[in-house]
Amino acid sequence: MSTDSPARKEEMVMEHLVSLTYRERLTPNLNRFVDRILEGELIGHRCPSCSRVYVPPKGYCPLCVVTTSAEDEVKVSDRGILTGFTIITPVAYYGQQATDPFVYASVLLDGASTPVGGQDITGVAHGRIHTGMRVRAVWRPPAERRVEGITNRGWGGLDAVIESFEVTGEPDASPEDYKEHLF
Amino acid sequence: MPARDIAIIGYAQTPSQRDAIQSEVQLLVGTITDAVTMAGIERREIGFTCAGSCDYLTGGPFAFVSNLEAAGSWPPISESHVEADGAFALYEAWMRLQEGDIDIALAFGSGKSSPSNPAEVWAQQLDPYYLAPLGADPVSLAAIQARALLDAGRATERDFAEVVARSRAQAASNPNAQLSGAVDVDALLAAPYHTAPLRRHDLPPISDGAAAVIMARGDKARELCSRPAWIRGMDHRIDPHQPGVRDITTARSATTAAKKAGYDGGPLDVAEVCATFSPQEIILREALGLPEGTQINPSGGPLAGNPVMAVGLVRVIEAAARIIGGSADRALAHATAGPLLQQNLVCLMEGE
Repeated sequence: MSTDSPARKEEMVMEHLVSLTYRERLTPNLNRFVDRILEGELIGHRCPSCSRVYVPPKGYCPLCVVTTSAEDEVKVSDRGILTGFTIITPVAYYGQQATDPFVYASVLLDGASTPVGGQDITGVAHGRIHTGMRVRAVWRPPAERRVEGITNRGWGGLDAVIESFEVTGEPDASPEDYKEHLF
Repeated sequence: MPARDIAIIGYAQTPSQRDAIQSEVQLLVGTITDAVTMAGIERREIGFTCAGSCDYLTGGPFAFVSNLEAAGSWPPISESHVEADGAFALYEAWMRLQEGDIDIALAFGSGKSSPSNPAEVWAQQLDPYYLAPLGADPVSLAAIQARALLDAGRATERDFAEVVARSRAQAASNPNAQLSGAVDVDALLAAPYHTAPLRRHDLPPISDGAAAVIMARGDKARELCSRPAWIRGMDHRIDPHQPGVRDITTARSATTAAKKAGYDGGPLDVAEVCATFSPQEIILREALGLPEGTQINPSGGPLAGNPVMAVGLVRVIEAAARIIGGSADRALAHATAGPLLQQNLVCLMEGE
């Protein structure tokens, strides 16, 4: 029997779903970020060397490789510029719960140097979304805000506090204002 | 192939901690900066960077990419990553330096074992041939190895306890150790089994930590360091991955790696060996051919602090530190990977 016959292939496949649990404390910089977003406020750390503002705060500047701390904390706006987006048409892979097309957008908040990624954009048809649009945070009601999805790995979780970013209708930002911050 | 003159001129490590509040990248930021400062160089002088870490341990795909932020990766740098201990990153960086076109290289390793249950995570690591989970956790495997050693009459449980007592006592002078201090061998033997025949003290602590090493070539090393730790040879070898097909009371690949690294069985001042479980020190002492009089794991070794993915590189640092500091002329460092001393790396260093 040749190795690529269907029967042989079937023998060689084993399904093995793995679940691993990780429990950890948030770093002090993220803990502070979480405290503030529960209050409806966004903060970052301003690098003392290059003045870039990282949101959420990382506790260091990756460009200058210097640590940042509570002393470097700055408040940033909950309004900003849509710098990039993808409209995702979900396929039913294991774990995918979405069924309708959805948006994954990056928003450069006013006062920040790094966009926050993975945000939903509302108040506009998907087909009309474009970079440069001015957007503002739609905060979930305080009692409904959840922060369990925010981890030290820094991926996502903000959507359980900020439901979406809706377009404000203000004139588009100039590409000059965000061309260094695309993600 | 004769190795070009390459030496360790700077290093740094975090203390081994049970549960570090900083992220893995944050642990690395200070560590790499300290190693660069010790070497007396500017970050941009580093011609090649290699990192070692484990995404399974960090708990996220591509977690190793953010670790690179701690190395200062803008403007773009030349770098690589190994899904292994930082000692194997050091090996790659050492090979890269031998090309002869760059003078300085950085290697680092990092890991946080605290967020997960190591026994659970390591059992899910994939077998390299079948890509199926290994299925056995390191503690159970180490207990089988310890039993084999006892059955072969090559060691007693008291021997295991003596390794632990000596490690903890030596760790008393190591500020980075997690477990240290005088312990009585009889008191250790009175403790209940954790996984027979191993007691809890025969196991390493669960640790978070990071380590970084700067190497330089030839005259550059001499210019930057008054007494560099010259790497006379470095080699790593691999035994079959399936513990059932080899004699687990020895580590043949460690013997080969030591020989290929140029260790001739002659006098050694210090050997820092990656014996993560106490019986493994007995196995390694024999497999590496460490002579009487060699100080073994003066830092306390992995039994005093086990920051997985940095612990092997820490062995190199502890050995190099004693050469740079002048208390040793010839030192051997050992690192390991895989189940039961499957993969072994040996780095032989000398002063000038």
